[in-house]
Amino acid sequence: MNHAEQIAEATREIFSSMIMLEVTPKQAIERTDSTFTNSISGMVGLAGSVKGNLSIHMPESVATAVTTAFLGMEVESIDEDVCDAIGELANMLAGAVKTAIDPSGSEIKLSMPSTVYGEEYRLDCQKCGVNVLVPFDLDGAEFSVELLLSDS
Amino acid sequence: MEFAQKISSVTKEIFASMIFLDLTSGEPISQGQEDLGCHVSAMIGLSGDINAILGIHCPAVVGKAIGGAMLGMELEEVDEDTKDALGEIANMLAGGLKETFAAEKIDILLAIPTTISGNSYKVSAPTGSNRIIIPFDIEAGRFYIDLKYSLS
Repeated sequence: MNHAEQIAEATREIFSSMIMLEVTPKQAIERTDSTFTNSISGMVGLAGSVKGNLSIHMPESVATAVTTAFLGMEVESIDEDVCDAIGELANMLAGAVKTAIDPSGSEIKLSMPSTVYGEEYRLDCQKCGVNVLVPFDLDGAEFSVELLLSDS
Repeated sequence: MEFAQKISSVTKEIFASMIFLDLTSGEPISQGQEDLGCHVSAMIGLSGDINAILGIHCPAVVGKAIGGAMLGMELEEVDEDTKDALGEIANMLAGGLKETFAAEKIDILLAIPTTISGNSYKVSAPTGSNRIIIPFDIEAGRFYIDLKYSLS
């Protein structure tokens, strides 16, 4: 499986088993425009024999809907619960992608998740050789999951 | 584990030897989440014996001053060079912490730096994790080094 397929499989699996939502992967792209508006991004670092970053990017409306489904609580805007839910989602996705890249489980370790959110922000990685972004459809709305790996 | 002291001494060392800017450190703040009024940040995940995220957060004018001093050029705006420089500084800070902890037989693995830029964003860590924010002042203004961690 290539990285796009690993991301598609991990995301579909986690959404369907943990959040009870069906998501449909679209064609993977190499990200060119990295500006996000009214969005939240959950990120987890990968360290060890492979170094990188796994992130999930969601517009606010998708993030609140996913948090409601995930935690079973109504949320209307990005608050602490949404940050925790999206961070935890990034953590689960990173765990699944890590297992796909490193089946032995001993080569790669995950960092703590963190979330970035706001009206307008850009995320860049200066030293990433691999950049795979997979968009997903969730009830007509879109979010994306991205894997960045260092080239060294 | 005297995180604040370690961060402070590693930061001072890197600024003295690599960036050649005088700086003073302020009182550490520990808060779950904070809007630091910053426009450019670089973050890097730490894993291994300590699970953490290290970040440097700067207002635009301070980011340009730090990047410019490190690269030996005038930076007009928060551009690729500025982000490159801050990403590299985050990497060096994490490397410095790794070295300091290695002397105490605490093993840290590094992920790769990611930069965030924009007019309006916030960064948060999972509820329940620890956070230390240390303000530093240079001539151009104040920036922050931020460590979010949990001890595994």
